[in-house]
Amino acid sequence: MSSLLKHLSPLAPDDSGACGVFYELGGITVICDAGGCAGNVCGFDEPRWHEKRSALFSAGLRDMDAILGRDDRLVEKLKLICQQIEAPFTAIVGTPVPAVIATDFHALQRMAERKTGLPCITAATDGTKLYDHGEMLAYEAIFRRFSTDKLPVKPGRLGVIGATPLNTGLTRADRMFEALHAEGWREVVCFGMDSGLDEIRRVSECAHLLVISPSGMQSAAYLHKTFGTPFSVGFPCIPDAAAEAARAVRGRRVLIVHQQFAANALRELLRDCEADAATWFMLDKAYAQPQDFRIRGEQQLAGLAQNYDVIFADAALKRVLRGFSGEWIDFPHFAVSGRLN
Amino acid sequence: MNHAYYITAADLAERGAENIPDELRSAKHMIYSSPATLDYNSPGAKGFGVKRAGLVIPESVMLLVAPGCCGRNTALLNELGYSERFFYLMLDDTDIVTGRYLSKIPKACAEIAQELEKKPSVIVICVTCVDALLGTDMERVCRSCEEASGIPSIPAYMYALTREKRLPPMALVRQSVYSLLEPQKRVSNECALLGYFSALDDGCELYALLRGAGIRRIHEIGRCQTYDEYKDISRANFSIVLNAEARYAAQDMQKKLGIPFIELTRLYRIDKIRTQYKLLGQAIGAELDDAAYYDETAQKIAEFRQKHGSLRFAVGEMLNADSFELALSLLEYGHHVSEIYGTVGERNFVFVKRIAAVSPQTRIYSNLHPSMLGYERDCAIDAAIGNDAKYYHKDLPGIGFQEEAQPFGYRGVNLLFDGLDAALTEGAHA
Repeated sequence: MSSLLKHLSPLAPDDSGACGVFYELGGITVICDAGGCAGNVCGFDEPRWHEKRSALFSAGLRDMDAILGRDDRLVEKLKLICQQIEAPFTAIVGTPVPAVIATDFHALQRMAERKTGLPCITAATDGTKLYDHGEMLAYEAIFRRFSTDKLPVKPGRLGVIGATPLNTGLTRADRMFEALHAEGWREVVCFGMDSGLDEIRRVSECAHLLVISPSGMQSAAYLHKTFGTPFSVGFPCIPDAAAEAARAVRGRRVLIVHQQFAANALRELLRDCEADAATWFMLDKAYAQPQDFRIRGEQQLAGLAQNYDVIFADAALKRVLRGFSGEWIDFPHFAVSGRLN
Repeated sequence: MNHAYYITAADLAERGAENIPDELRSAKHMIYSSPATLDYNSPGAKGFGVKRAGLVIPESVMLLVAPGCCGRNTALLNELGYSERFFYLMLDDTDIVTGRYLSKIPKACAEIAQELEKKPSVIVICVTCVDALLGTDMERVCRSCEEASGIPSIPAYMYALTREKRLPPMALVRQSVYSLLEPQKRVSNECALLGYFSALDDGCELYALLRGAGIRRIHEIGRCQTYDEYKDISRANFSIVLNAEARYAAQDMQKKLGIPFIELTRLYRIDKIRTQYKLLGQAIGAELDDAAYYDETAQKIAEFRQKHGSLRFAVGEMLNADSFELALSLLEYGHHVSEIYGTVGERNFVFVKRIAAVSPQTRIYSNLHPSMLGYERDCAIDAAIGNDAKYYHKDLPGIGFQEEAQPFGYRGVNLLFDGLDAALTEGAHA
C-alpha cells in the first residue's frame, strides 16, 4: 500500500510550506487548526521559530467551532490580535479541519479584510499534500497581492524565489548571498528569508529571478508575464560535503533524491556518471531528464534503488533502503528529516 | 518594554473563577505556540502526548491514520527509540471525502503484522481531528483490524479539537492504555499506581509507605517491560490515581475489573502531603508513618531558605506540578513569587485565592496569549522553575523540573529544592 509508511515519518506537509513562505514577511499568520498543526509547524518544520520572531498563531479551533462553522469567531479573534500587534497583512493557512468542513477561504478572506481593515491572503492547504504545494500557493498569493507596481529595473539585482528552510536547510540567506555575489550579482534578495514584505512589493526592480524550487515556478511565470522579468532555475546552496563528494564520484550509476532543483544542481557536479534525480515532491518535466522519477512510495523507491551504485539522499531515507548495498552519500533535505545543513 | 498581558493575583481573585479575563482563556483568543509551550500545542510531539502515551503498552506498535501534517513531528520520537514502533497510513483528500480509508486501515494492520518479525502485543490505531469531525466509529474499525491482522487493536484519540472537553485526549488515552486488561483474581497485597506514563521517582516514599502497609507488589505501567507484566496490573486489589486525568481510566477499571480506586494529588506543601497520606492510610486501613520523611523534608526546606535567603521566583507550567499550588508552597516557605505562567481554571482557582492573600502583586500570565510574543522581564526575579519559565529567563538560574521520573510527595519537594540548590549554586559560581 503506497500510502502506508512503514519506515519513514511523514514528509513536510503543505501547511508547513505555506507558513514557511509567510514567516518573515511581517504579517499575522493564523493556522486554521485546533493546535496540533501549529505545534507541528512551530515545533518541527519551522526552525526559525527559535531564532526569529514571527506572529504565527493557531486559531485554537474547538469541535463546536468546526461543527457549527463559526468563521465569525475566528475573524473576531483575528480582529482582536490585529489590535494588539501591528502588521501590514494577515494570512490564513488551511489544515485538515477546514478541509473537512469545506471552509470557504474566499469568504473568510473577505470577512477578515472587512473586520480588520488589513489585506488578508489565504492558502487553502489541507495538510494532506506536501510542503511544496503549500509554498506554491503561498508564493502565488503573496506576489499577486502585493507585487503590483512596475518599478524601474535595477541592473545587477537578483531575486530568489524558494528560499525557505524546507527547501534549503538554511535559516539565514548568507550562504546564498555569498554564492550569488560570487556569480556577479550585485544585489541579491531572497524573498521571505532575511527579507520582508517590502522586497516582495519591489520584486519588479529585479533584473532576474532565480527559482530554487519547483514551488516557485508558478510565481516566476506570473512575474515574468506581469513585469517581463526573466527567470532561470538553479540551487546555489548545495551543502559543501555533498558537493565535494559529488565532484569525486566517477563512472557510476547515481541516484539523487531531493527536491528537483537541488537534485539537478548536484547532478551538474557529477562527471562521467549516469545520474537520475528522484523526488517525493513536485517534478517539473521541463527540467527533468528522461529517467528522472517521482517517488510514489517506500516500496517503489526500495525497488528502484537497486539499479544504482551510489545514492545521494537524506540519511533518514536509509531506513527505507536497508537492502541497498551501494554507497550512500548524505544529502540532507529538511522537508524529509528536519535536519538543517 | 513588556507588552504581555498579565493580571495580578489580587485582581484575579477579586474577579472570581466565573470571571476569568479572556486573555487567560485559550478558547477566547488565538493561540501563541510559544517556544516555551510547544508541549501544549504539539500534543504528539514531546513528553507524553497521545502518540507516545499510546505506546506505553509493552510490545505495542502504533498506526497513525491521518493526513501527513498530523504525524510530521513524530520524527522527534525516533530519537527516543520509537522508530520501529510507528506506522503511518497517510490520508489524501479523496480518502477524507469518500471515507475509503476506513477499509484501508485493516489492510494496513495486516501488512504491518506481516512486516514485523515479532508479533506486537497490540496495534494502537491513532486518529486525529479528521475522525473527530467525521464521527468515525473506532470500536468497529478496531474490531475489523483485529480480524484482519490477528492482533488486538485499540483506538487512541488525538483529538486536539476536544482538548477542553470533559474527556480530553489525554484522559481518553489513559482509558485506552488500560483497556486491554482482563479480569482476574485480585491479590490483596497488590496495588496499582495510575496517572503517569512513566514511573514515580525511585526514591519516592510512597513505595516504602505502601510496603509498610503490607503491599508487596506495586504495579505501574511505566515500569512494565513485558506485556505479561502489563497484564498483571489487573491483579491489583486497589488503584491509586495520582493524576486526575486518569480518573476516567480508573472508573473504567472499577467497572470492568472490579478494582476500586483512591485519588491523591501531587502537592508541594508538606502539611498537605502529610494530611493526604493520613487519609490514604485511613482508606486502606493502615497507618502510614511518614514522620521521618516529613521531618527530613521540612529540614531541607529550612536549610535551603537559610542558604539562599528569601528568593523571588518565576513559576511556569511546563513542569511536574500545578503551577499555582507550587507557587503557593514557595510563598508559604517564605519566598516570593513574582510571576506565574499558567492556566487558571476552576480546579486551581482555590490556589489563586490563597496566593492573592499572601502575595497580591504576583503577576499571572497565560503562556498561550498572543501578547506573550512581546514578553520582556520588567520585575525582579532570582530563579525560574519550569521549562517555560526557563525559556523566558535564560539568563537566570533555573530548573526545568519536567523529568520523566515523576516527583511525588515529600520526594517531589526534596527533588525541587535539591534542583534549585544546584542551579543557584552553579549560577553563583558562574
